[in-house]
Amino acid sequence: MSTHRIVQTRFLHVDRPFRLESGDTMAGLTIAYETYGEPNAARSNAILIEHALSGSAHAAFHHEGDARPGWWDAMIGPGKAFDTDAYFVICANVIAGCNGSTGPASPDPATGRPYGLGFPPVTIRDMVEAQRLLLAELGVERVRCVAGGSMGGMQAMQIFCDYPALFDSFICIASTMRHSAQQIAFNEVGRRAIMADPRWNGGNYYGELPPEGGLSVARMIGHITYLSEKMMQEKFGRLRKGKDSRAVFRPSFEVEHYLDHQGVAFVRRFDANSYLYITSAIDNFDLVSSISGPSRHRGENRMRGKGFDTMRRKKGLVISFTSDWLYPSQQSQAIVRFFSGLNVRVSYAEIPTDHGHDAFLTDVNEQTRLVESFLSSLDA
Amino acid sequence: MQKVPGHAHDLIEQWVEPSSRVLDLGCGDGSLLDRLKRSRQVDGIGVEISQDMIVQCLSRGLSVYQADIDRGLSQWDDLSFDYVILNATLLVTHKPYDIITEMLRVGRYAVISVSNFGFLPNRASVLFRGSITGDVRAAGTWHDSPVIRFVCLDEFRASLREMGIDIMDARHFLPLGIVTRTRIPLDNLLVREAVFLLRRGA
Repeated sequence: MSTHRIVQTRFLHVDRPFRLESGDTMAGLTIAYETYGEPNAARSNAILIEHALSGSAHAAFHHEGDARPGWWDAMIGPGKAFDTDAYFVICANVIAGCNGSTGPASPDPATGRPYGLGFPPVTIRDMVEAQRLLLAELGVERVRCVAGGSMGGMQAMQIFCDYPALFDSFICIASTMRHSAQQIAFNEVGRRAIMADPRWNGGNYYGELPPEGGLSVARMIGHITYLSEKMMQEKFGRLRKGKDSRAVFRPSFEVEHYLDHQGVAFVRRFDANSYLYITSAIDNFDLVSSISGPSRHRGENRMRGKGFDTMRRKKGLVISFTSDWLYPSQQSQAIVRFFSGLNVRVSYAEIPTDHGHDAFLTDVNEQTRLVESFLSSLDA
Repeated sequence: MQKVPGHAHDLIEQWVEPSSRVLDLGCGDGSLLDRLKRSRQVDGIGVEISQDMIVQCLSRGLSVYQADIDRGLSQWDDLSFDYVILNATLLVTHKPYDIITEMLRVGRYAVISVSNFGFLPNRASVLFRGSITGDVRAAGTWHDSPVIRFVCLDEFRASLREMGIDIMDARHFLPLGIVTRTRIPLDNLLVREAVFLLRRGA
C-alpha cells in the first residue's frame, strides 16, 4: 500500500577482529540494522531499540512488498511512542541471530562453511558491544534512550551500564536482571527439544533438512509461557477445530492448532542453532555480576564501581505486566531497586493486562502513554 | 481524593530541608513533589496506584513508582529517605497502622495530614442532617468514596502515642484561615485538618 513507509535492512561489515567476553575472537562480523526517522544536526536524538529472542532488526515500517510491518511497528513511527518525527530510531539484529547479523548459520571465514556449533558462545554483553560499533559507525555519540522488552530489556540495561556516558536513559519492559531457575528450565526444555531432533545432527544441518520438529516444539513451549492462563482459556478454552477426530493424536483442540501454527510459522524464519545460542546468552545473563565483578574486557564501566557515578541522575523506566508469569513483576521491581541504589532516577509502572508476557508486543496504548511522557521529560 | 489544600503544600515545603530525600505516598499528579523538587531541590520519588497519575508524574519528569501502599513499602530499605509524606491519603488506606510503621522504617521523618472528622460542621451534619458531609467523603458517596476511614484528631493523637511516635511539629488548620502550631482548647471540635511532622520515639 502506498501509505506504508518502506525501510530496508542495511548491513555493517566489521573487518576488524571482534573480541568476545569469553576471550574468543571472531575474525569479523556483520551487523544487520534498520533506522527510522532522521538524525538531528547535533546527532543527539537517537533512540536504540533492542529486540527480544525471536526479533530482528526489522522493528518498524514495511519491507518492500511485505504486508506485515516490523515487530514493534505499533510503537515506532510518526506520532507513535518512539516518534520518528522527533527521534532517530535504530534497531540491530543481535549477533548469534539469524536475521542478517553474524550467527551460527553464517559462513565461518576459516572454512567457508556455516559455523554451526563452531560459532563461539556469546553473551548479552557481546550483543550490545556489537551495537556499540554500529552506533560509532552511525556517528551517534549520544543516545537519548535505549529501550527493549524481554531479552531486549536485558540488552538495554547492559549497554546502559557498560556505556553510561553514551545514554541519557533506558526503558526496560517485562524483563529481569537474571533468569530464575524456572526461566532457565523452560529454555532448557526448548533447547533439548531441538537437540533431540535427529535432523539437528550436532548443529550440522545446513544445506540439509533443518530440525524443524525440535525447533517448533521449542517455540510451542515458548508460546505457552508468553500467554497468561486466563488469556489462553478465554481465547481457546476447550474449543475444537474440525469435526473429524478419528485420527488419534492429531491436533483437535484449538489451542493445539494455535501452538502448531506458531511452531510452523517460526521454523520458516528462525534458525535452530541461533535459538540455542541466544537462549543460552539469556540464561547466562546476570547484570549485577557482569558490572560489579572483576575487570572485564568490555565497556567504559569495566572497572569495579567506575562509571556508576556517570549513571547518577540518569533516568530509567521499568514496566511490567500483571499477568506476565514468565517475567513476573517482582523481577522488574528488583531492577528498580538495583538502579535506585546506583542513584539512577528510575520509575516503575505495572500495566494491568491479561495478555501475559506477550503484552509488551500487544498492549500498545498503555505503553505508549508511559513511554511518551517519559521521553518528553528527558532534557533535550 | 480529599481536597488538597494548598496550605498543606506550603507547610510541607517549609518543613522539608533542602536537598533531602523524599518519598511521597499517594503522590497523585506529582504537584507537591514537583514543587519540592524545584524549591527544595529534593531527590524525590512518588508512589501512586493510578496509571493516569503515573503518566502525569512522568510528564513532569518525576520519578514515580506504581504500587498499592497498603501492600507495604518493602521496596525500600530502612532509612532510605529523610521524609516520607502521606498527604491527604491516610483516610483512603486499608492498613493505616502498617503504613505509618513502614513510613518511619524507611524514613527519618513522616509527614501526615489528617482530616478531623470531629470538626464541628462534620458533627453538625451528622446530628442535624443525618448525613456525612461531602467534604469528608471528598468526591463520592458512602459506597464509592475513596475515603474509607473517619478519624477524630484526639483518636489520631492517641494512636501515635500508642505506636510510640513523637510529634515533632504540627499545624492545625481552623476556619477563617487560622493556623496554630500549638494545641488549642477544644481542638478536636475546632480543627478542620492537621498536619504532623513525626519521628519514631526514642
